Amino acid sequence: MAGKESCIVCQIIGNKIPSKRIYEDELVMAVLDVNGANPGHCFVMPKNHYPIIEHVPDVEIGRLFQVSNKISSAIFESLGAQGTNIFVANGIPAGQTVAHFTINVIPRKENDGINLQWQPKQLSEEEMSTVELKLKEQTKNIGFEKEEKKPRIHVPKPVVLSDEEEEYFTRQMRRLP
Amino acid sequence: MAEQISPEQLKALQEKIKQMTPEELKEFQKKQCVFCQIVAGKIQAKKVYEDDKVVAILDINPVNPGHVLLLTKEHYSIMPQLPDDEVAHVFMAAKAISNSMLRSIDAQGTNIIVANGIAAGQRAQHFMAHIIPRKQNDGVNFVLPQKTMDEKEIEAISSKLISVLSGAGEKEEEKPAIQIAQEAKKESGEPKSGIDLDDISRLLGVK
Repeated sequence: MAGKESCIVCQIIGNKIPSKRIYEDELVMAVLDVNGANPGHCFVMPKNHYPIIEHVPDVEIGRLFQVSNKISSAIFESLGAQGTNIFVANGIPAGQTVAHFTINVIPRKENDGINLQWQPKQLSEEEMSTVELKLKEQTKNIGFEKEEKKPRIHVPKPVVLSDEEEEYFTRQMRRLP
Repeated sequence: MAEQISPEQLKALQEKIKQMTPEELKEFQKKQCVFCQIVAGKIQAKKVYEDDKVVAILDINPVNPGHVLLLTKEHYSIMPQLPDDEVAHVFMAAKAISNSMLRSIDAQGTNIIVANGIAAGQRAQHFMAHIIPRKQNDGVNFVLPQKTMDEKEIEAISSKLISVLSGAGEKEEEKPAIQIAQEAKKESGEPKSGIDLDDISRLLGVK
């Protein structure tokens, strides 16, 4: 299964594929999507290779979304956007196309052809309660990795994904026709 | 824009709001906000997670069963108003909830969506992140078209963004070292006020 070597995002981060960088620090890189949903659509990505959000350490999650928020503010401030979306797809059924966790920051205007709306599904009270109980049972275990002091210098570590980590993505890839 | 209130109403409202102290204004916003009342437990909701900063509830008009709204306990209208530590916390919680969905309700994937502003699909005047469990062929179809830009437009947009982002980087000290691809300098302005009169009047015009 495709790992870091064949990952297109890793190649962008490693400068092997040219991109329009707009932000970079030791953990995060942000580039302009030149075929974006709207002009100004940006990708925010961890420099380390993680297929889905589950693999991204909490400290990096914090930084990634803080950077996304700053880009969203910059889009309001400098591009005259009427709104912004932060959009993440985890897993192929959710629309993920590249096996490297990516946050989309998208400038919005009225009638811009983007559709992130939905037809609400009608659930019975029983269905709602069942899903509530199942989720609650699982979220009991939620804990956060202790936040480190913000590192300034990035020492790249080789990313070795365990079989288990790659398995989620691989399993979904196999489902594709 | 679908929701409009008369110019007279808007003017009267803005006058009223202008005379309020920031504390009164915050209180006023909170009272108007149904999600603040959910956070406070005054309106019933199906809570699936809670800690000192956030509450997660089930959306009563879900994309799919298990669709969660992750709310800050503090009232913020849009994400740019959140301080950095809250941004980090909200999305660490979003990650954990997304993981929980994969484990407990047979989700095969998740979407995390934030809408800032009516044009982006925001409906409520309280910041929230949607966490949506997904399955193959679940009938959900988010449309992100691909548009092309010419070289000039790409250059203009990237230099505008870089200019603002590098300015923001200089403003605060605790921030990571930023290496910007292009040299761009900008005088850093005052941080924006957290309260937008238009936001409030729009809210009152609607509900």
